[in-house]
Amino acid sequence: MKRFPIPQGTLDMLILQIVSLEPLHGYGIAQRLEQISRSVVQVNQGSLYPALHRLELKGWLKGKWKQSEIGREAKFYSLTPTGRLQLDTEKSSWARLAGAVQLIFDESSGS
Amino acid sequence: MKQLANWFRRKQLERDLDRELRYHVDRRVTDLQNSGFSENQARRQAILELGGPAQIQEQVRDVWLTRWLRDLAYDLRFSVRSFRKTPTFTIAAVLSLMLGIGATTALYSLIDQIVLRALSVDHPERLVLFNWNGEQLAETFGSDNLMSYPICRDLQQQKQFFDGVFCRAATTINFSTGGEPRLTAAELVSGTYFSVLGVSPALGRLLMIDDDQVPGSSPVVVLSYDFWQNQFGGAQDIVGRTVLVNQHPMTVVGVAAPTFHGIDVGEVPSVWIPAVMSAQSIPGFETMLDRRTRWMQILGGLKQNVSLAEAKTGLQPWFKAMLDEDTRRTDFSRFSAEQRRQFLASTLDLTAAPEGHSVLRHDLSRPLWVLFVATAVLLALACLNVAGLFLARGSARHREISTRLALGASRGRIGRQLLTDSVLLAFAGGLLGVVMAPVAVRALIAFLPHNTAANDLQANVDTRLLLFAFLISLVAGFLAGSAPALQAGRKSLDSSLRERGGTPSGGLALRRAIVTAQIAFTLVLVIAAGLFVRTLSGLLIKGPGFDTSSLISFGIKPALNGYSGAEENRLIRRITEGLRDSSSIQASAIAHDQLLLGGTWSNSLTIQARERYITDREVQMNAVTPGFFATLGARIVAGRDFNEHDALNVIAANQSLPVSQSGQRAVIVNEAFVKRYFGGRNPLGARVAMGSAPDAKPDSEIVGVVGNISYRDVREQWEQAYFPIGTELSGSNFYVRFRGTPESAFRSIRAILHNADPTLPISYFRTLDEQIDRSLNTERMLAALSSSFGTLALLLTLVGLYGVMSFVVTQRTREIGIRLALGASRWSAIWLILRDASAMILMGIGIGLPLVWVLGRLVESQLYGVKSSDSTVICITVLILCSTGLSAALIPAHRASGVSPTDALRAE
Repeated sequence: MKRFPIPQGTLDMLILQIVSLEPLHGYGIAQRLEQISRSVVQVNQGSLYPALHRLELKGWLKGKWKQSEIGREAKFYSLTPTGRLQLDTEKSSWARLAGAVQLIFDESSGS
Repeated sequence: MKQLANWFRRKQLERDLDRELRYHVDRRVTDLQNSGFSENQARRQAILELGGPAQIQEQVRDVWLTRWLRDLAYDLRFSVRSFRKTPTFTIAAVLSLMLGIGATTALYSLIDQIVLRALSVDHPERLVLFNWNGEQLAETFGSDNLMSYPICRDLQQQKQFFDGVFCRAATTINFSTGGEPRLTAAELVSGTYFSVLGVSPALGRLLMIDDDQVPGSSPVVVLSYDFWQNQFGGAQDIVGRTVLVNQHPMTVVGVAAPTFHGIDVGEVPSVWIPAVMSAQSIPGFETMLDRRTRWMQILGGLKQNVSLAEAKTGLQPWFKAMLDEDTRRTDFSRFSAEQRRQFLASTLDLTAAPEGHSVLRHDLSRPLWVLFVATAVLLALACLNVAGLFLARGSARHREISTRLALGASRGRIGRQLLTDSVLLAFAGGLLGVVMAPVAVRALIAFLPHNTAANDLQANVDTRLLLFAFLISLVAGFLAGSAPALQAGRKSLDSSLRERGGTPSGGLALRRAIVTAQIAFTLVLVIAAGLFVRTLSGLLIKGPGFDTSSLISFGIKPALNGYSGAEENRLIRRITEGLRDSSSIQASAIAHDQLLLGGTWSNSLTIQARERYITDREVQMNAVTPGFFATLGARIVAGRDFNEHDALNVIAANQSLPVSQSGQRAVIVNEAFVKRYFGGRNPLGARVAMGSAPDAKPDSEIVGVVGNISYRDVREQWEQAYFPIGTELSGSNFYVRFRGTPESAFRSIRAILHNADPTLPISYFRTLDEQIDRSLNTERMLAALSSSFGTLALLLTLVGLYGVMSFVVTQRTREIGIRLALGASRWSAIWLILRDASAMILMGIGIGLPLVWVLGRLVESQLYGVKSSDSTVICITVLILCSTGLSAALIPAHRASGVSPTDALRAE
């Protein structure tokens, strides 16, 4: 099956979602993205770090240097309260968009 | 903002990002190795997946700083580096901008302080100034916007429009704490003054409504904070102390807040006194409650929800009723029907007065705006100069720019780099300008007259000034940089690469346009300088109508020291005798009012010649002792001077004694008076009366005609009438012609005064030459500043012209060489270049002249004896511009004539 590129703007939402479960470092987030979206969505790893830094600058993520599972220091990202709010709005607006699109499909096939 | 902060910790950010990416790659390598890759393969694969660390770093940096901020940072660094490489260019450009921005900032500082700045009180925006438009039929004491004290009390009842209304008048008092009295600036104010302005006390209490009820009943004063600090060393027990105001004991009840400096930026009072104490503060002034005496400015604080227009409309019914009531008062019967009609046609005007009321503002705002426009032109010229320098440098840099274009830089990007260059230069110039501005402001303040009351002007740099300097630097930067930036954006890449090395055609047309504009601006500034210098020299040549050398004047106010009328007369006789006996004094006389101080005593006169008529405008009047005109050296052109009998007659008339001798009181008028009211016929023997009332008795005979002498200022020539000085002097101005040096004269006069009364302060003491200088302050300021601006402008322009012409010669070397080789004379080569320069000069003049015409209206009122379209000034300026401009072009032209044909052709 051909993997399609991730839609514009959804990468940020996915990152927020992944980090909302537990604080993770960049590599961890990359792996998690890979697992979740395996064989469906193709994430360009190169855009991950700019996205992380953008989210950090916006104040939705907070970076903190901590010991990682292999004992080396890594930068762990966690969700800030405003980041959580942002994730909630993005989720609901995504749901509304998806619902609306589905509705349009149903209508057209129904008629 | 965060991005800006990131700029300063970018080293830390870089380190962290590096670690973060390394961690990612290392983890990936380990994972890949575990699944069977070799280390090298794994590393290559990891980096490939990530898309190249260098690229990611770039992208992340864009996130940190945003794109334009990063570019700006690079541009700035590049600009600084290239400026370091061309120090002469940089210094020339920064200095031009420094002069332009510094001068503009300095002028703005004065305009801001004198004209624009709101008072530091509660709600200055709600302050309004009342003004009586029309004829008040009142005696006038003071400057402008004057009204009577009772009107202020009326207005205080208009509570539906105003939170409060106050009135004030500036005056000078003798202030002492028991020792020697000192002349001190004071403000007579209504009890509402401080509450309307919302001033709080630093100590004790301020004046209240209770302090302003019954005339003479409230001997209390409030001190200004600075006065308390300087005169009393900030003594904590000041409240309750007794001080002497004109020898009247008064109690200090408080000290005003340190930030409060009164409502007149030009005259800061040290003491505030209730208006009901006006008779004590101004000896001889008994008419505070008279509605026909105007001496105070009235201001009010509008209620929050009332607009200026509403208050103005709302007040008219009351005002009309008051006018009506006034005409029914008993003292109104002395006015004629015509005067009543004019009186009843008056209206009450209200203007917003967030800046308070200031005579200084009234006098100076026009000259200051004129100078501000001149500095703005100068700044524009400086910008043009820098733009020209940039274009010159741009042609030297064209290879670098072409290379950058060839490597893929966008034109916008290159243009932005050039703008960054100029804005950076402008900020450097602006910074130096701000450093220079206080020095310039101090020099400008020195041009202003010094009075007893200090002015509140400071040569400080405050945030408003910084903001102004920042803004004009930015504007100047963009102006100076736009031409080269446009130029860089327009040039096509391959044409610039095809050009022969060393002789690019870079923006020659633009550079010509810039020099043409510079010539136009310079024309404006040099003509302005010419007009102001002619005004000043015209006034100096005209002079006051008498010989000012070896002339001193000084003043005393014995009444402020508690002298009665008779005592004052005795004192003045003692002083006069002392002066007469002194060997270093040639002559002396006394005038009731001081000359050349900007003020006059004016009133209408009734003239009884063959018929009886009233002067159509107020006549300037003064009272003088016999010998006054001789002391001044003014010519008596007909009739005679006053003599002792004239003076005695005045005293006799005042004391209702039989008038001696001829039985007539005497008056002397000036030539302008004769010209206006007698059409040049002999006025001797005609009689006049002071005032215009129907019952005025013309009982003063014109006994002499004196030449025109300056009274208010040197400029004005007005009808004047002189009366002999009688008794009851309140204050005297002595005019003394001395022998020898002014210093020795000062010494002997001081000794005579000390002898007469050692405790009597001298209110002023100066030579008439100083007095003339002082009276021509504004004219001198305009002439001095406009001349320096004109000179600077001319220099900047000549440098610009020289630069362009040199460039033209370099460019046309080959052409000139060929012409010479074909047999053209060297003169024709010179002519070729000069013709080019003349075209620019003439074009500049052609653009400048209409500008002169437009700006001329702005300065017309400041000129004397010369019109803004004065042909002499314009011709001389044009001549100066042409001759200096051609001289500047002659140097490159001469070089052109020296081109050797063979060298020129070999240079290819």
